[in-house]
Amino acid sequence: MEGAVLVIGGGIAGIQTSLDLTELGFKVYLVERTPSIGGRMAQLDKTFPTNDCSLCILAPKMVEVFRNPNIELMTYHEVKKITGKPGDFTVTVLKKPRYVDETKCKGCGDCAAKCPKIEAPNPFDMNLGKRKSIYIPFPQAVPPIYLIDPNMCLMLTKGVCGVCKKVCKADAIDYEQKPQDIEIKVGAVVVCTGFDMYGEELSSRWGYQYQNVVNALEYERILCASGPFEGHVLRPSDHEEPEIIAFVQCAGSRDLHENVPYCSSVCCMYTAKESIITKEHSENSKCFVFRHDIRAYGKNFYEFTQRAQEEYGVVYFQTKISTIEEDPDTNDLIIHYEDLKTGEFKDFRANLVVLATPLVPSNGSKELGEILGIELDNYNFYKEKSYFNKLTSSREGIYLCGFCQGPMDIPETVADASGVASQVATLLSPVKYTQVKEKIYEIPEKEVKYDDEPRIGVLVCHCGINIGKYVDVPRVVDYIKTLPNVVQCEANLYSCSSDSQERIKQVILEKNLNRFIVASCTPRTHEALFQETCQEAGLNKYLFEMVNIRDQCSWVHMTEKEAATEKAIDLLRMAVAKARLIKPQKEEKLKIEPSCFIIGGGISGMTAALNIAEQGFKAYLIEKEKKLGGNLNNLNILYPIQEDASIILKEMVEKVERNPNIEIILESKIKDIKGYIGNYDISLQDTNNEIKELKVGTIIVATGAQELKPQGLFQYDEKNKNVITQLELEQRLQNEDKSWLNEIKRVTFILCANARQKEGITYCSNVCCGASIKNIDILKELKNDLEIVALYRDLQMAKKEFEEYYRNRRKDAMFLRYDLDNLPQVNKAKEEQYKISVFDTNLQDTIEFETDLIVLATPMIPADNLKELAMMLKVPLDRTGFFLEAHVKLRPLDFATDGIFLCGCAQWPKNIQDSISQANGAAGRASRFLSAGEITTSGLVAEVNPDKCIGCGKCEDVCPYNAIELIDETKEFEDISIVIKKSSINSALCKGCGTCAATCPVGAIMVKHYDFDQIGAMINTYLLEKVKN
Amino acid sequence: MTEAKKEGKNEGFEPNIVAFCCNWCSYAGADLAGVSRFQYPPNIRVIRVMCSGRVDPSFIMKALKNGADGVIVTGCHIGDCHYISGNEYTKERFERLHSIIIKQLGVNPKRVRLEWVSASEGKRFAEVITEFTNDIKKLGPFKR
Ligand code: FES
Repeated sequence: MEGAVLVIGGGIAGIQTSLDLTELGFKVYLVERTPSIGGRMAQLDKTFPTNDCSLCILAPKMVEVFRNPNIELMTYHEVKKITGKPGDFTVTVLKKPRYVDETKCKGCGDCAAKCPKIEAPNPFDMNLGKRKSIYIPFPQAVPPIYLIDPNMCLMLTKGVCGVCKKVCKADAIDYEQKPQDIEIKVGAVVVCTGFDMYGEELSSRWGYQYQNVVNALEYERILCASGPFEGHVLRPSDHEEPEIIAFVQCAGSRDLHENVPYCSSVCCMYTAKESIITKEHSENSKCFVFRHDIRAYGKNFYEFTQRAQEEYGVVYFQTKISTIEEDPDTNDLIIHYEDLKTGEFKDFRANLVVLATPLVPSNGSKELGEILGIELDNYNFYKEKSYFNKLTSSREGIYLCGFCQGPMDIPETVADASGVASQVATLLSPVKYTQVKEKIYEIPEKEVKYDDEPRIGVLVCHCGINIGKYVDVPRVVDYIKTLPNVVQCEANLYSCSSDSQERIKQVILEKNLNRFIVASCTPRTHEALFQETCQEAGLNKYLFEMVNIRDQCSWVHMTEKEAATEKAIDLLRMAVAKARLIKPQKEEKLKIEPSCFIIGGGISGMTAALNIAEQGFKAYLIEKEKKLGGNLNNLNILYPIQEDASIILKEMVEKVERNPNIEIILESKIKDIKGYIGNYDISLQDTNNEIKELKVGTIIVATGAQELKPQGLFQYDEKNKNVITQLELEQRLQNEDKSWLNEIKRVTFILCANARQKEGITYCSNVCCGASIKNIDILKELKNDLEIVALYRDLQMAKKEFEEYYRNRRKDAMFLRYDLDNLPQVNKAKEEQYKISVFDTNLQDTIEFETDLIVLATPMIPADNLKELAMMLKVPLDRTGFFLEAHVKLRPLDFATDGIFLCGCAQWPKNIQDSISQANGAAGRASRFLSAGEITTSGLVAEVNPDKCIGCGKCEDVCPYNAIELIDETKEFEDISIVIKKSSINSALCKGCGTCAATCPVGAIMVKHYDFDQIGAMINTYLLEKVKN
Repeated sequence: MTEAKKEGKNEGFEPNIVAFCCNWCSYAGADLAGVSRFQYPPNIRVIRVMCSGRVDPSFIMKALKNGADGVIVTGCHIGDCHYISGNEYTKERFERLHSIIIKQLGVNPKRVRLEWVSASEGKRFAEVITEFTNDIKKLGPFKR
């Protein structure tokens, strides 16, 4: 068995899977066919619903992958062949020639700058921008290694030019590179190949052939500040600012003619986002959305689409598009459409049209599927083995993650990544930690005492000509040499090359240095490398300082050598001043109790417990009721697989009960939770008031949700037996005895009952539409002549199977669309007979009819008593009362507080498939810590000086990580002792942001490496010791 | 520290400007300005902190007292802070600093600025710095 895993695809799915896998103890080969990781997410401008800058949150993860010693990054590689079986696969990977030696290229860009002006469309900018024939796809590309486009390069095509080779100081250009096959051995494979967006593939009626019709990904690049138009919203045809922008939804999706029968599931949301950002960019622009259903089913999603309309004045039309044509004189577009609210056919003129075109499995998915021997589904996504485990492919040992399995958004992808990692960890658990390397430093760390005279070494980098040409490096070196405590200062060509690392070590040892400074590029990418070098020479890595004289000096002052040189000198002087004051820091190791406490015994909790247990850790599963199963106990048939819930539940409960690593604790309440990651003390109380104490390392919250009982709404109350909720219908259907149905002639479903309102419950619960359609189908099967009416607003059928599920059943009922402003009226006609009057927006008419059974699809609301639990766990709830995750996009299963995780409906209403995926994901997140057995705290944390602390608690209030606590301290004064409060920072939880230190009114908190005296010294040195050259 | 109200002719005046950048967004934005070769005046000296929330008002005061003609603090856009909410406190603190201390001490509020710059806003970083530097040049040396 191999302790290594192949991850195919370097988008957010592949990135997160790789990172989680290494934390679970596996080596990863990350194969990406393009030259950089980052995938689609790197192309996005912002992410919904928070409008976070996409690259801001992604880039740190890309860098993390790059630096991770256990991830072998194979960009510009492709998988060619696979043989073997789960645990032992042999994979052949093709390394495509970059014509640039990746071991030598420093990413300085001299080559591209000098490459003769032959410019090709840049696919990263969706071909809207240009690049040279030697290029990196985008400035933040990882790895930052250039490559040559062999179809464009004059040298490779015609044998002339060769300029890049001449200018490359690192001698990295190699025109002779050939494709190369590489064989790797892995235990499992994870496929994360993502999606493409339709453009030319669309039929011509959508008008994509016209210049000013773009698809949404192209529009993301247009919006992006680092995109082809530098963030100015311009039309491709004339680079003028468009005034009227039309966003067309479902352009080709949910459309049998375009061969894309499913809903791409993210378009409603990104359209709302893009329209909001457009308005932010240019206030005068007018945005119109031509929509179909609104499918915004995630946390705060529906509200986001409302905000676009209410706050930003984006106008939504409910329409059906017939064609989009160009006015050849103005290059404007004329949209011919049917207004579904009035039934009229109309025309609309727009200056720019953005199409929400179908998202389809990425080009080459089919071929890769054949190579890997995994099946595709009807839509060419990779087929999951079972509906309830969408992360496994049809072939054992090969897993699926992200969009290649079906349409999903980023948080779902990230959750799946963690879920996949945990399943791989289960498969390969015997070989965990067999192929990962832990860095061992041969030279022991030398002691540096605080009063030791600083002995500083400085290296100033030329970075080829990137710094040297614009900054007078020799002058900088000469000057810095004269500063007190600087023992050694020298320049070199490339500080990041491996021979430079040897040189740094040599200097540190020979000159007995106790501080080291490199002045070169940005610490964001290179600090860790130099820190490691220092540590290899026995110098504590926190005794290193980095100065950025390239990205923030030479490159931005290219015409002012004198001033740039002066600035470089200043920056270095400041760094030297700080370096004198920096201290060695210790990274502490904390033991983690190898167990997990799971709160809630529903499907999510059981799944998480099983996953943890199967990885070999102890799981405690606590449930407040008498039996496991949660909401699943009340369900009848599960859609879209049409299986009996009780059978699935029984199988699951048996598995949980049989697993020796799981301890089930029923009918118990949590009394108290104390401690922090690795060491929680939990006390439980059962119905006999007996107390049970547990010690656990991590906690998973899986408390589920409940159905809202809409007292008083639509005649729902005790007296009216035949006005019921969806869940009550499920229970009736569960019953053997269906005689109640004999009397019923007409059933009416009212969807969105008490949901998606202006006030109160504003959100969409995401599962009610599907459940209603399922129940309509069941009722129809039970009684063929039953008449069924469904009153709906939008149909939320966004998963890949759902559109078809609905399409196959829509004839079972009469679907009437109503409006929030015009709610259906329900009146009692006589005993168990109701009169309904509804304004059908499609027909633009009021319809009245009688019905003898009303089923209300009401939203899910948070479980009871969550506040109390949240207080005990010290984690937040959101506005709607569900638990609030650490980051809606990239940390959907984490709380900000390390060690506590979240899954299922406790986070937000979701269906069983998603709950299971999330539960596996949460188990994966939690087991990273359990697997490692310990955590290493960062040296860069805050620390309280108890002598100064006045116990005011302001620091505790501002800490986002619950790392600060006020503790009682007893002070003895002669014969009286008093208790005073002192702040105390838990270094295991502190992330070193320093907000507490800036908040402390008495300056009692110091932030290591960014302390008052250190920053103060930088300021003083710059301003008070200013040298005029 | 009360500032003389006149804005004189400041030809040849090269101000000293301290810039605080948080590591995750604004420092990254400054890097991107470099990668994209967006040029801006060379007067700023960047001090990197992990989060804009680290910037203690006393740092700003110290810089002004010791000879800075302007101080600019940059962080992630609200909602984007790598540490969830650090920049919200920055904003709060900054507003307080502006309204009370700066005004009471008579420092022209234009000399101290707070800006949000994301990692993809290289261009914006260059623009913000250019504009700020020009403003300070117009204000002239900060006479204490
Ligand atoms: S990390 Fe940028 S402001 Fe907090």
